[in-house]
Amino acid sequence: MYQLIIIGGGPGGISAGIYAARKKIKTLLIAEEFGGQSAVSDDVQNWIGDQSISGFDLAKKMEAHLKAHKKDIEIVEGDRVVTIKKIKEGRYRVSTQKGEKYETENILLVSGSRRRRLDVPGGEEFDGKGVAYCATCDAPLFKDKAVAVIGGGNSALEAVLDLLTYASKVYLIHRGEKLKGDAVTQDEIRKSEKVEIIFDSEVREIFGNKFVTGLEYKDVKTDKIKKLKLGGVFVEIGSLPNSDMVKDLVKLGKWGEVVVNHKTMQSSDSGIWAAGDVSDVLYKQNNISAGDSIKAVLNIYDKITGQSRK
Amino acid sequence: MIIKMYTTPFCKYCKVAKEFFKTKNISFIEVDITKDNKAMKEMVKKSMQMAVPVFDIDGQILVGFNRGKIEKALKVA
Repeated sequence: MYQLIIIGGGPGGISAGIYAARKKIKTLLIAEEFGGQSAVSDDVQNWIGDQSISGFDLAKKMEAHLKAHKKDIEIVEGDRVVTIKKIKEGRYRVSTQKGEKYETENILLVSGSRRRRLDVPGGEEFDGKGVAYCATCDAPLFKDKAVAVIGGGNSALEAVLDLLTYASKVYLIHRGEKLKGDAVTQDEIRKSEKVEIIFDSEVREIFGNKFVTGLEYKDVKTDKIKKLKLGGVFVEIGSLPNSDMVKDLVKLGKWGEVVVNHKTMQSSDSGIWAAGDVSDVLYKQNNISAGDSIKAVLNIYDKITGQSRK
Repeated sequence: MIIKMYTTPFCKYCKVAKEFFKTKNISFIEVDITKDNKAMKEMVKKSMQMAVPVFDIDGQILVGFNRGKIEKALKVA
């Protein structure tokens, strides 16, 4: 029986783990991997204390910091929490993919978010067969091919940049009439003759044989249906919070984000806290996830020790 | 057991996979497909996918780094 189970291994989970260990809260941390989503970033320039560090190195550093406290915290790595059952007030049973079960008085959910998938005909069928979710990884496979990037935020713009080195043509298909990503990146993209931006358009279908050969989209202003011949489609349409395991226990927002009291990070259930991208935080940032998770642990510590703060 | 891993230079899961094999003291051959066109074609043919990393573990083909699946493949191999 634990006093606290922390679910997640991103900056939030790691920060929470360090604080919980130092407070000697009897804690178990369960993480599939360490480092969170920014582990894929080439260069992180806003993690306080590091002017420039690769996401991978940052993840390693954070993991080492947590593990330096391993005598005061139990860690399960390489497993994923699938269900949480509330047995009674102040007692929860957490079950994992590998079939392990753990009981705890309190839970801190820092499970982050996952990429939103392209939910149109052909989207799943051609996943990995031309439909791709990591331009940094897979761009070289699309050398001299025409490709499309779907989205309009920073991730979409960065995907366009990654692809410019290899692809012969890059279409950027955006639902809105204005791009949302950083102005600097927008300028960079507009400079390239290879890029064509298609506004106000929704993808309706991905088609192909063994691999993607093209897509169909609708211009929402004119209702016209158009087709593009393509060798690849990169999807960058945002993310969804990993909150399935608490969906019957706590109040969720429109997109499935856990609604919390932002002073304490406590959810609508008095034994469950959430922080980082799985919560209804406005800004999805490593530093914020770390800070908010620490807030949660301090509040959990107050609860355990019977202190109340105004 | 022969493990061949097809990678690109900026792919995080390729790095995670390399780290995984190293900590387990398992040797592997890494092929950077951006430097070897023939290897790229070979990889796509083997996996029928256009994504890295691809693992060829004694003929078992796995796409993407999934700790559980890799562990299982290593046990069989």
